[in-house]
Amino acid sequence: MSSVTLFGLCGAALVGLGLFGLIVQPGVLRKILAFNLLGSGVLLLFGVIARRGGGVVAGNGSDPVAQALIITALVVAFAATVLAVALLRRLVQETGRDSLDSDG
Amino acid sequence: MDSLATLASATWGGPLLVLALMLPVAALMLAFVLGGRHAERVVLATLPIGLGVAVAIAAAIIHQGAALHYDLGGWAPPLGVSLHADGLSATLLLTTAVVLCAVGLYARADFRVPPGVSEARAPLAFWTLLLAVWAGLNAVFLGQDLFNLYVALELLTFAAVPLVCLSGSPQTIAAALRYLLFALMGSVLYLLGGALFYGAYGTLDIPMLSARLASGDPIAPAALAAAALMTAGLLAKTALFPLHLWLPPAHAGAPAAGSAVLSALVVKASFFLILRLWFDVMPASLTHLAAQVLAALGAAAILFGGVLALRQARLKMLIAYSTLAQIGYLFLVFPLVANPAAAPILDLGQTPGAWTGGVLQLVSHAFAKAAMFMAAGLIAGALGHDQLRGLGGIGRVLPMTVFAFALAGLSLMGLPPSGGFASKWLLLSASIETGQWWWTLVMLAGGLLTGAYLFRVLAPALSTRGPPLTLVKPVERSRELVVLGLALCSVVLGLVPFSSFGLVQIGRLGATGIGLP
Amino acid sequence: MTQSSLLMAALGTPVLALLACLWRPVRERMLGLLVLAPLPALAAAVIALAGVGEGGRWMLDPGLLQIGLVLDRPGALLLGVAALLWGAAGAYAWTYLRGKPNGRRFAVFWLLTLTGSLGVFVAADLLSFYLTFALVSLAAWGLVAHDGTVRARRAGVVYLLLAVLGEVFLLLAFVLLAVASPGDSLAIGAVVAALPGSPWCGPTLGLLIAGFGLKAGLVPLHVWLPIAHPAAPMPASAVLSGVIVKAGIIGLIRFLPWDAGLVDWGQALTAIGLCTAFYAVAIGITQANPKTVLAYSTASQMGLVATVFGLGLAVGDGAAVTAGTFYAAHHLLAKGALFLAVGVVAATDARRLWPVLAPAGLLALGFGGLPLTGGFLAKLAVKPVLGVGLVGWLGTLSAIGSTLLMVHFLHRVAANPAPEAVASAAPGLVWPWWVMCLAALVLPWVLAPLGRLGPWSDTLGWAALWGGLWPVLIGAVLALGLRRWGERLPKVPEGDLVVLFSNAGRVAAALGDALERADGWLRRWPVAGVLLLVLALVLWGAMLAGTR
Repeated sequence: MSSVTLFGLCGAALVGLGLFGLIVQPGVLRKILAFNLLGSGVLLLFGVIARRGGGVVAGNGSDPVAQALIITALVVAFAATVLAVALLRRLVQETGRDSLDSDG
Repeated sequence: MDSLATLASATWGGPLLVLALMLPVAALMLAFVLGGRHAERVVLATLPIGLGVAVAIAAAIIHQGAALHYDLGGWAPPLGVSLHADGLSATLLLTTAVVLCAVGLYARADFRVPPGVSEARAPLAFWTLLLAVWAGLNAVFLGQDLFNLYVALELLTFAAVPLVCLSGSPQTIAAALRYLLFALMGSVLYLLGGALFYGAYGTLDIPMLSARLASGDPIAPAALAAAALMTAGLLAKTALFPLHLWLPPAHAGAPAAGSAVLSALVVKASFFLILRLWFDVMPASLTHLAAQVLAALGAAAILFGGVLALRQARLKMLIAYSTLAQIGYLFLVFPLVANPAAAPILDLGQTPGAWTGGVLQLVSHAFAKAAMFMAAGLIAGALGHDQLRGLGGIGRVLPMTVFAFALAGLSLMGLPPSGGFASKWLLLSASIETGQWWWTLVMLAGGLLTGAYLFRVLAPALSTRGPPLTLVKPVERSRELVVLGLALCSVVLGLVPFSSFGLVQIGRLGATGIGLP
Repeated sequence: MTQSSLLMAALGTPVLALLACLWRPVRERMLGLLVLAPLPALAAAVIALAGVGEGGRWMLDPGLLQIGLVLDRPGALLLGVAALLWGAAGAYAWTYLRGKPNGRRFAVFWLLTLTGSLGVFVAADLLSFYLTFALVSLAAWGLVAHDGTVRARRAGVVYLLLAVLGEVFLLLAFVLLAVASPGDSLAIGAVVAALPGSPWCGPTLGLLIAGFGLKAGLVPLHVWLPIAHPAAPMPASAVLSGVIVKAGIIGLIRFLPWDAGLVDWGQALTAIGLCTAFYAVAIGITQANPKTVLAYSTASQMGLVATVFGLGLAVGDGAAVTAGTFYAAHHLLAKGALFLAVGVVAATDARRLWPVLAPAGLLALGFGGLPLTGGFLAKLAVKPVLGVGLVGWLGTLSAIGSTLLMVHFLHRVAANPAPEAVASAAPGLVWPWWVMCLAALVLPWVLAPLGRLGPWSDTLGWAALWGGLWPVLIGAVLALGLRRWGERLPKVPEGDLVVLFSNAGRVAAALGDALERADGWLRRWPVAGVLLLVLALVLWGAMLAGTR
């Protein structure tokens, strides 16, 4: 099994887990964690695909543009997590619950 | 795309685009650093300048008859970042600037730092977030690279989410979380689509990607999957039915000024990206069937949102569901612009009416909906609640507010002479011309539902029976005038003869400048 | 002052009055100034009818879309009599509503309706016509629901629902017209000329007849008339029945392709018109409220006009338009006058009714064609179009029916005088009624040349007089029978067919409940999340299917 296939499968598995968690888990903290799994999986896929794709500039098999994009996306995902956790903290302080589905 | 290559980096209006992007960002930092009472002053000083810049950009585009383009730092794509404004971008920049100016003037009374305090949480948050939303919107409208657009859209979402929960009540925090998480799910799908595009074509720059898509004979299934994922992700952020779970509580829970921004502008940004994706990146792949699917969802939104709006007990919830319905109209553009007779080749020159009609709907809804939310805010502030049951006779107490609400409502309903009427006329004509008469029935039924839910508000508001209302708080005349001004904007759009709205066609594929009847 | 600037002033005056209402002192006095608002329109119409010039024309953009105003013969005739009624009813309203609450709001809605109502007679293009038609339709809600009672509010809802439905029909029809027209021009003449060759000719005509027929009160869309008229204040009923239903008539005049000879559509319109003419009489005689009776009479009379138009449409004969317009103009004057009379009678005690009832009787029997009244001339004008065949006979039969209905009306109105022992109507109510009464009796004679009536010797010959008289006599005899045995007739509620929809509200509520539950389900997080993924797959599938 080549490393590309391995990474690809890993990424797909992470995406699957993340989507499952994001959709099914009622707790907001679990949803946030699932989102992080999902994001990591997508970025892993991004890296794998970009290695295979037409963006390879030099002959060494790596694409600096894709890596720059992945790093930026990581930062964005981190910011999103921070915002979500801050909101969740406030919600738990106010109501003591961490699920969303009971309200309209 | 040849025209773009020749234009690259050299149009004289280009630096204006940088200004449009940097102005809100610089003001944001300044407001954040100065803080306190200065935040409001910075915003109110910047907004008119931003409006001037937007006007200048539109004027430059009309003058040149072509899109504006600017490569940041002189670096051309694929390595550099470039800004690009066609007629559609300019229209939206202008709309954003006008709505934000009105919101800024309106919000002064709600977000004033109380005397005796040097700084308060809600005002500082509101004014900086307003600038952040503005920056995010401008970045979306000017972006030229699918990844940069992703970042811009995320910035916009991060700025919009806290606007929902400024009041800090548990319900609004839950609504904000719901909005954030669902938007994040959408953006992950968008990112996955971006990855697929990058893998298949090695670039995310829109002109380059579009050229590569057009040159490769069969489009890779991966590219189609990428487009599908991106569209679905953007639909989640646009809250198209049935992905609207977050919209009603978020838009109804935000303070009135925030609701106006969210409903009028923020949902339009992701819709704008859908337009970019379908009409700029892969115009040849917008198949008849896909367009029908999008429009069917739009039609469902129109009917469903209309009925639900009719059944709300609170004014702001009613307006939020009305947004849901009005978003639906935007998606009717897809099958109407892509003429099935010539599918899937897209020629905007053939049905410019549908394109103009769609953009006009977007703009007039932005003005009208902002005016409605702000009018609802005035009513809720004056009465202390926004229950429809308690609105009897409000027309006698706040005549100007109710008049502005009614004007905005007439535009939503599509009565002449208003922007809503002009857009519906164009969309109806286009659906007849392209032989898709079934969309006319949806649009007309939507108009009936809109009329019905407006009647539910206006009939008791104009009634004179029942005990006279007592206001818990007086309403400033200046704020009423701001709301009325926005409502008038949405009406006046219909008086502008269609020919001068050719701006929205500039820079589109297949359209040759101002070519409307 | 040129005619085109007079035309501008005709519409500009009510608009300016509306704007002036933004200023409080003017708003307080506006009710008293309503009488003046339609006067420029009256002047414009009189000058155009006197044939001094070409008729006014004012274009916003003469070259391209041709948006603007134009005053032609049928338009000027209806505009003139409409302006007269608006003026008289405006004067009447001042006295009628003075001292009652909400007079200012009434004045605003009055001016809005007035603007639209005058506008439909002079609009030259699709957009102006749609704008003014929507204005008159929607603003009249404020007049119908003015009283704010439960009944008035219900009437307002029914009225508005049907008005908006009519707007929807017309919007679609106008879009079809504009799309089928080859050029850019939106001038009504240009787009209607292209209608017979349009691929959507049938649907367009159907929508036009439905939309305008609704406004004119043709069965089965007449139901708003008998519900709205009794609920509205007296002067508002007068303009509703007199002028506002004529918006539908002018619509038919303007938008039907008269030269094309569309036999099928002409026959359909004739059939609808005849059904309306008889159905409305049949329901009308079961009604007790004099205003409701008048409303049904309006529907019946408009049915006859539609019959005339249908016959003209079938044979491609423009003379039907002239005759129908003349008939409608007389109806406008006389019906407006009768509504004002109902109010005058209601303010007069039982012993002093005759000075009102006698002239009202003349006007009422005029609808049956009583010789020497204006209605006699109107019947003569449409007689050549109706012909001597079956339709001609049915036309005579409808005259008998109208007489029956109008005698029933006189009976009902005489039964409702002021309850006080000594009461007399205020002068402010009486003189507008007299003006309208005289106008309805005299003006048709002045305007007779416009109705293309034959030489006076024919008009006033014994044959013509007898031809007008005998249906009235038969109708009067039948009315005696009705008075005797009328108790046995079933009691039909106002708005007859509306009862069929009495449980529509419950059905709609059930549907709304179901959708609300669906909304609750769709907005659950797992459902929406799965739908998002499904949507991505569906879109992918749709694109793959398209590229194969």
